[in-house]
Amino acid sequence: MANTETALKEALASIEGATGAALVDYTSGMALGTIGGSKTFDLNVAAAGNTDVIRAKIRTMEHLGLKAEIEDILITLTDQYHLIRLLTGRGGNGLFLYLVLDAKRANLAMARHQLKRIEESLEV
Amino acid sequence: MADEPALLEELHRLRARVPQLTGALAASVDGLVLAHDTPGVEPEGLAALTAAALGVAIRTTDATGRGELRELLLRGHLGYVATYAAGAHAVLTLLAQDRVNVGRLHLEGRRAGARIGELVDAAALAPARPAVRPAPRTRTARTAASPAAGPTTTTTPRGTTPRTTTES
Repeated sequence: MANTETALKEALASIEGATGAALVDYTSGMALGTIGGSKTFDLNVAAAGNTDVIRAKIRTMEHLGLKAEIEDILITLTDQYHLIRLLTGRGGNGLFLYLVLDAKRANLAMARHQLKRIEESLEV
Repeated sequence: MADEPALLEELHRLRARVPQLTGALAASVDGLVLAHDTPGVEPEGLAALTAAALGVAIRTTDATGRGELRELLLRGHLGYVATYAAGAHAVLTLLAQDRVNVGRLHLEGRRAGARIGELVDAAALAPARPAVRPAPRTRTARTAASPAAGPTTTTTPRGTTPRTTTES
């Protein structure tokens, strides 16, 4: 079991190509923890913006009558991948992990697998 | 005192950017309405209550060594009331539904507060003076005159007092 800080550190350290990560509460849009990022890449802005992404997707699924849960969301930019993974269980409801990857260095399949593992061991 | 159409435009822009906002009000720190877009809520009353809440909030941040007051967030059963510092003379109060994205509310509220502060300070001060921060002497005078004065009024000893106590 890892706490927020260790989980974020592990994400940044062990996932190849990771440049930033955040744990975000999408009921409020605020980040519980952030790591990495830069002056030009504010993870708190990303937290608020991606909260809207998740809320829109959840609403769309309700409209479509889909009963399934979102596991993760992948956003592909020309030079980055953004991975969003929703937390399940253990009081993690309403939270998501957000991971920024450098597309040149990252292995997407491996990153997704590792993020899943980090999410499973995360205790909030 | 400030350019009201410009303030109103800022409030309208804010409400367009955050659809869960139900009202926005720019008020002076002593409780006068500068511009408002608050359907269903009486702006004069809200401005007066904001000033009263600010008075307590500023004293609290000051007494606990948290520095200048930047924002004040209230949450009721049905939504939020957020007040952001807007320069030396004004504040921005936003009303939002409970389902608002608070992260976004803060981002937009802080930005709009800074812009409104520039507009109001520019109108209130001599044109040559930079808009962001008036001289400390003015603030001391304001504090003495009005206990419920603005978000930057209590900052005359800013930095020095808390810092020396923690270091020694």
